Amino acid sequence: MERRVVITGCSAITPIGCSKADILENLEKGISGVGRIRDDELLVEQLNTSVFGTVDEDLAYDFPRKFRKTMGPVSFSACRVVEDVIRQSGLDKTSLSSGRVGVAFGSSHGSTAVLKRVYQACFSAQSTDMFAISAADYLKSMVHTTAVNITRMFGITGRVISSPSACTTSSQSIGFGYEMIKFGVQDAMICGGSEEYDTTTVAVFDNLLACSTHYNDTPHKTPRPFDADRDGLVVGEGAGAVMLEELESARRRGATILGEVIGFATNNNGGNLIMPDLAGVTQVLKMGLENAKISADQIDFISAHATATRIGDVIEARSINNVYGNNPWVSGLKSYMGHTIAACGVIETILTLYMMEQGFIVPTLNLDQVDDRCAMVRHIPHLMETEIRCAAVQNFAFGGINTSLILRQFSPQSSKQ
Amino acid sequence: MERKKIESTIIDFIETNFEMSDVGVDDDLNAVHGFDSIDAIELLREIETLMDGKLTRDEEEAAMGIRTVRQIVDFIEKAMADRA
Repeated sequence: MERRVVITGCSAITPIGCSKADILENLEKGISGVGRIRDDELLVEQLNTSVFGTVDEDLAYDFPRKFRKTMGPVSFSACRVVEDVIRQSGLDKTSLSSGRVGVAFGSSHGSTAVLKRVYQACFSAQSTDMFAISAADYLKSMVHTTAVNITRMFGITGRVISSPSACTTSSQSIGFGYEMIKFGVQDAMICGGSEEYDTTTVAVFDNLLACSTHYNDTPHKTPRPFDADRDGLVVGEGAGAVMLEELESARRRGATILGEVIGFATNNNGGNLIMPDLAGVTQVLKMGLENAKISADQIDFISAHATATRIGDVIEARSINNVYGNNPWVSGLKSYMGHTIAACGVIETILTLYMMEQGFIVPTLNLDQVDDRCAMVRHIPHLMETEIRCAAVQNFAFGGINTSLILRQFSPQSSKQ
Repeated sequence: MERKKIESTIIDFIETNFEMSDVGVDDDLNAVHGFDSIDAIELLREIETLMDGKLTRDEEEAAMGIRTVRQIVDFIEKAMADRA
């Protein structure tokens, strides 16, 4: 029997705020979190782009040392949002350690800040001392560092799914976590992703000519998803987590239910590792609806992946039109904060939940003139107060991985899907 | 280096860097203070700094059985004597 999966906690660290209140305020006011990239004294001078989605708040990661010592920045953020989500959900230590609660969490890499220090020690002309690498450096930089720092800090003994897939890391985390609960393998899953400030990630996109470079002096004007004057993506940092739970156990606990995940689909284009593929993206959007057992006209809002690349936005607009027509409102939330890579799926899910709760949808920022090739979808022109009953959150990654998550407003009266 | 000085240096290092408090000379560091294998490796590096020299592989493996500050100080004294 397939079980219903609800959301009982959500928390995000983003370039537009690290609290629900701040995030909502900046969304409503149309304030961008994109600014000048921080100088790393290594690569920044060589980059063509000078913009980045920066988390400006100086957050205190005051965890006890016994937990901190295996964390790089990417895990600090991960554990911070998970701590918040656990508190919101009300799940106690006994439940967390029961084996029925798991973690699906990832990042693009382990901590690159730690890796850079290790390699600098390795290649430094001044030192060939391998013991400049500390005992914990591998633990901080291994690719599943976020997921297992979470299990360690919170005593979680259930399944661990750590699927680093760049831009689909956290949307896959949510989707795989949803499936764990839906099919009875786990009763709750902490799902999400984290991306730390890292100029090598920026350099990758910069070298591919995919980064925005025309707005270096006016960072808040980029990225510009679907806009005729868009010129590429802006990399950002952030983290997000959601608590997914089986509906009946959440009800028994009296947990506050923020929304429901009713469908998930993921596929691969089976070809080019960089360019998006119309057929592959169209297929995953169809599969998401099939999995949710709803029709396209039941979707009120689509959080588009919309990185503001020249080709990606066109492919996405066409695929949305192929599947949804021009019925649902469409918004590119990366326009507010840049592309938070591994964290984008969960952050965009959380922002969608916030809007679902508040009853409004925000427009794509910097969408001054819609590119004709992206005009076949229903771009929201300004902030609108409107109900979101069902929403789709879609993300696509290097490697040709595509995801579609379907969310529904939770109704206490609803007894079946 | 005198034994008392070694002892105070080690306790100070553990309390400052590992954020452990009131470390007694005969405390089981793992059971009482949560000292683990990661801390042990970092402590070995500090011992090498104190001795201004590298530990051998055999010495490092022998060190893995240490449980108290008293045993750490005994270990350092022996390592220094072996090199004298």
